[in-house]
Amino acid sequence: MKKSPNKLESMGLTVNKRSTLKTLMSQWQLMLMSIPVLLYVLVFNYGPLFGWSYAFYDYNNGLGAKAKHPWIGWESFEFLFGRKGKDFIRSLRNTLGMSVINLVLGTVSAILLAILLNEVRNRKFKRTVQTVTYLPHFLSMVIVVSMAQNIFASDGPINQLLLGLGMAKEPIPFLSDGRYFWGMTGVINVWKEVGWNTIIYISAMTSIDPSLYEAAAIDGAGRFQRILHVTLPGIKSTFVILLIMNIGHLLEAGFEIQYLLGYGVVQDWSETIDVFSFRYAFKNDMYSVATASSMFKSVVGIILLVGANLIAKKLDEDTLL
Amino acid sequence: MRASKKQSAATLNIPADAIIVPKKRQDVVFPIVNAIILIILMAITLYPVINTVAYSFSDDIDALRGGITVYPRVFSLHSYDKLINDSQLYRAFLVTASKTIIITVLNLVLTSMLAFALSRKEYPLRKPITIILVLTMYFNAGIIPTFLWVGKKLGLMNVYWVYIIPCMFSCFNMIVLRTYIAGLPEALVESARIDGASDFRTFWQIIFPLCTPVLATVALFVAVGSWNSWFETKLYIQKGKNLKALQTLQYYLQSQLQTAGNSGSNAAGATADAMKNKDAVTSTVAFRSAVTVVSSIPILVVYPFLQKYFVTGMVLGSVKG
Amino acid sequence: MMRKLLSVLLMLALVIALVPAAFADEALEPITLTVFRGDPGEAPAEDNKIYKLIEEKFGVKFDFEFLVGDLDEKLGLMISGEDYPDLFDGGNSADKIIQAGALINLLDYVNPEDTPRLWAHIEPQKARLIEKDEDGNDVLYIIPNYGLTDGPQIANEVGGPAFFIQKQVLAWAGYPQIHTLDEYFDVIEKFLEANPTNADGQPYTGFAILCEDWRHFCLINPVQHLMGRPNDGEVLIDVSTDDFHTETFIDKPYAKPYYQKLNEEYHKGLISADTFVMSYDQYIADLSNGTVLGMFDQAWDFGNATAALRTAGKDENTYVALGLIYDEDDVEGVLPEGWTIEEHYLNGSLPNVRRGFGISVNCECPERIVAMWEEMLSNEWQLIFNWGIEGEDYYVEDGRLLMTEEQYKQTQDQEWQKHNKARAFFESSPKKQGWILDGEYEGNCWEPGNQPEIVKGLMTEYDQKFLEAYGYSKFADFVNPPIELAPYGEAWQIDYTPVNVDHTEFLQIQDKRLPELIMCDPADFDAKWDAFVEEITPSATAFGDFMQQAVLEEVAKVLG
Repeated sequence: MKKSPNKLESMGLTVNKRSTLKTLMSQWQLMLMSIPVLLYVLVFNYGPLFGWSYAFYDYNNGLGAKAKHPWIGWESFEFLFGRKGKDFIRSLRNTLGMSVINLVLGTVSAILLAILLNEVRNRKFKRTVQTVTYLPHFLSMVIVVSMAQNIFASDGPINQLLLGLGMAKEPIPFLSDGRYFWGMTGVINVWKEVGWNTIIYISAMTSIDPSLYEAAAIDGAGRFQRILHVTLPGIKSTFVILLIMNIGHLLEAGFEIQYLLGYGVVQDWSETIDVFSFRYAFKNDMYSVATASSMFKSVVGIILLVGANLIAKKLDEDTLL
Repeated sequence: MRASKKQSAATLNIPADAIIVPKKRQDVVFPIVNAIILIILMAITLYPVINTVAYSFSDDIDALRGGITVYPRVFSLHSYDKLINDSQLYRAFLVTASKTIIITVLNLVLTSMLAFALSRKEYPLRKPITIILVLTMYFNAGIIPTFLWVGKKLGLMNVYWVYIIPCMFSCFNMIVLRTYIAGLPEALVESARIDGASDFRTFWQIIFPLCTPVLATVALFVAVGSWNSWFETKLYIQKGKNLKALQTLQYYLQSQLQTAGNSGSNAAGATADAMKNKDAVTSTVAFRSAVTVVSSIPILVVYPFLQKYFVTGMVLGSVKG
Repeated sequence: MMRKLLSVLLMLALVIALVPAAFADEALEPITLTVFRGDPGEAPAEDNKIYKLIEEKFGVKFDFEFLVGDLDEKLGLMISGEDYPDLFDGGNSADKIIQAGALINLLDYVNPEDTPRLWAHIEPQKARLIEKDEDGNDVLYIIPNYGLTDGPQIANEVGGPAFFIQKQVLAWAGYPQIHTLDEYFDVIEKFLEANPTNADGQPYTGFAILCEDWRHFCLINPVQHLMGRPNDGEVLIDVSTDDFHTETFIDKPYAKPYYQKLNEEYHKGLISADTFVMSYDQYIADLSNGTVLGMFDQAWDFGNATAALRTAGKDENTYVALGLIYDEDDVEGVLPEGWTIEEHYLNGSLPNVRRGFGISVNCECPERIVAMWEEMLSNEWQLIFNWGIEGEDYYVEDGRLLMTEEQYKQTQDQEWQKHNKARAFFESSPKKQGWILDGEYEGNCWEPGNQPEIVKGLMTEYDQKFLEAYGYSKFADFVNPPIELAPYGEAWQIDYTPVNVDHTEFLQIQDKRLPELIMCDPADFDAKWDAFVEEITPSATAFGDFMQQAVLEEVAKVLG
């Protein structure tokens, strides 16, 4: 079970020092623990990058065995940003729109809930609230979406409540009017993840020095002032880090909600880049265009993430790496 | 009046961790309001879930009338009865359970071994491997390129293993574990080495058992992800025969939900004869609710017991993630 | 010695036992065919008697898969995996699987010598059915599931597009003749004024417009019918011209009066804003409830609602199909040159080209399937599929095929069908329709639902009285008799995929703008209409030009 140096060299590693070589030889067990996974990652995480080549050959009439697939260069990208690419531009807009809504609603709701929980003194009650609010995180999106369809239906409880309170004259078509779609994804995401998202903020809050609260209290600060002047500054760094990381994920508005909820009439507002790729590939048989849109998203995503990471570094926070 | 209220508040029983200073009025009102808000929040979180349970125990016909809130109007076990005799559901349950167990075990073993190897400071490949792995968190080739690679090039279509093989490793979990292992006292490894233990033995007999809490977290993350996934079935299992044999629970649920409304075709004109014979095939809302309940119970039963662990895991992952 | 003899005997016995197996009819080796149906459905019960017969006779079992979710997407995924079922029905998107090369050319197996029945079945419509592939070879991928009928066309009722109106509205108004848009909306308006709610106090809706997904034809198709043409999808074709002049109609001035009328009715409260976001389920529920007075639709599209109304005994809430056309005043000065409006909602019967089962390239026994279809086109098997088993499902009297009321009713019951009908297979297979032209049951109808005795027996008292009041004998009498089918067939059958992008845009603009136009302030209508026309013209022109070409190609193919 010994690894030969040749093997190592063939893996692209230049091993200069004899001592390093020796160390490595003695670490064959560590290598056995790590190299197979490395190879696995190369195949399954890096391998799909070869799929990008489909963007540059003509697979716009399906993958069929019959068809020929000549080189088309950047045509697929020209399609995306040209006259016929309206759908794509729209999906880009929807992706960004829903991302921003999710980011804002998600962050604000998580911080609010974390603060409320942090103020609870009764441990049992606090734990109960936490357990309950974690629950939706563990439900699959299929289930969550079907629940949302019941809750927001035109004869569902929300509409009945609004009608009953006189806040609406007729049922609001939450799910069938595209203009509500971004908001709906925001609400569904908050419902599903708000409890889960508090975990990090609560942990940040527990690490705030209690003497700060004490000092504030002695200075005559009430609850709200203590929250404002102690708690919020205490989670500032966590907030900044998470914000930056989320900006890095701005193109990850999701696929499942939009795919599951986004039928016909609301498509204008529901289709994200991922759904666009999926639809163009399997529904329209335009695999090159679909691949190009996937590729665009990945590349811009990397730029955003690296940028976010650099900013985080600049801000003298922990790096994301 | 106001002063006396203040007085009485000050003499109330105050938890040990609170600071004894004159209380402001908000300090009295706040906890009550806070508790009310949190209770409402729990109600909002739980309502859709309880509503689904109520539907699942409802009579088929009565449920179609809608308007069921938190208890069934006409109690019936009919849906569960139907469900027990549903061979497809039974099969889907087996597929989902088995793949979840296999993926979880594989992930735990591979990820913890790798995390151990990458936590060893004397291991020179540590840096390059880490970078290659961490990069995978930055990009994702996209839905279509991944499908083209895994399905077409690697040929993982219509096989059970497509559920397992592409999901054996997650970098996020590796980082959680590595951070945890790095936090263990170095002396543990040192002394094991002095006793002549190999890297394998050190890992298996000393580090692995110590990682139990964080392993529980990782297991939960992986298991939830696997249990709740449906998209792999949609993407990779295409042949009818295999679909019946290999569909997962969530996919089955999703197809049940879809048959309720959608008949998806595009031309406006199939002939009268063809359409005359066509009826909508619908599964009733009560039955769908029962499937929902059954498919989410396993996870919902488990997660409260792991709460302590996954909170730690989330914090570890996010700090270093 | 004895032992040797014994062993020889044993050997002999073995050989004797094996020989028949080796020489047995190869075709009878039992097989299971995988089947995909491009529409939703339900698998038959294990003990289904017709599938049992098929298994006994042909040694064939079926493993069905039905569509769940979006058809195009599902087919796309199947094509990308190149894993096809043996029998492949791509539904309305069969063009897609043909283009992907998923189906075999049936002409390799179907010919006058080997399969005389199949050949005779397709022969009259050969020109429409047999196409040329890229290399110029004759190809036939799918034998149509419907529309290859025998004998004179049967038109008892309108099965396709029409303006529908509840029977009670006409009865209330004293059975008037309704032929124009104005008359139609007028009678609904008056009825609504006199009866704002039904007996249960539920409010009536004057006119519903279903817009969901592909069913938006209820919104975008009517203009061609008002102009007097049968269903050509989204184009208007002038069959009197040599070049079959083809144009999209929605962007033309003669489309405007219809939507202006709808705008007017919207503001009168006949149309509710809800209608534009209504799901198909909701629509069917409303219709089944009996609270929708009128709509433009195709009869098959709301068959479930009709059935529900019948079951509930609400005959007065069922619909009658009217063939509305524009009044000449409506379209004065905007008609295409030389156009005269004459009502034609019913068209000649047409084969459902490229719809039904094809045999996939993955199938290992295409010749066996074709041989089975050939045998199944016999009168004996067609009777089994259409009528069932004699004595159990129907009876014969004086050479007439008949069903008792009970027998007929059970054929409509889905649960019963699961055990006693081979729908999932038969619906997509080649079949005979129309009149039985030979054999002992000559002069009967292939389909029980068309058999005159049964049609008459099923007519309810209400319907009989209703027809009597008009002096009609059948509901199809409300519209003109079918015209001869144009050489190109019906233009909605044309494969749009080459102009997919333009066509999608063309439809999307209509989906968005037409509801806006119907709901807008009447003062803004003209300006909004002009803006709509400007917006849609590029995609409409691209699509229209393509269709003109495609129609001509089709004509050339059929006329030779």
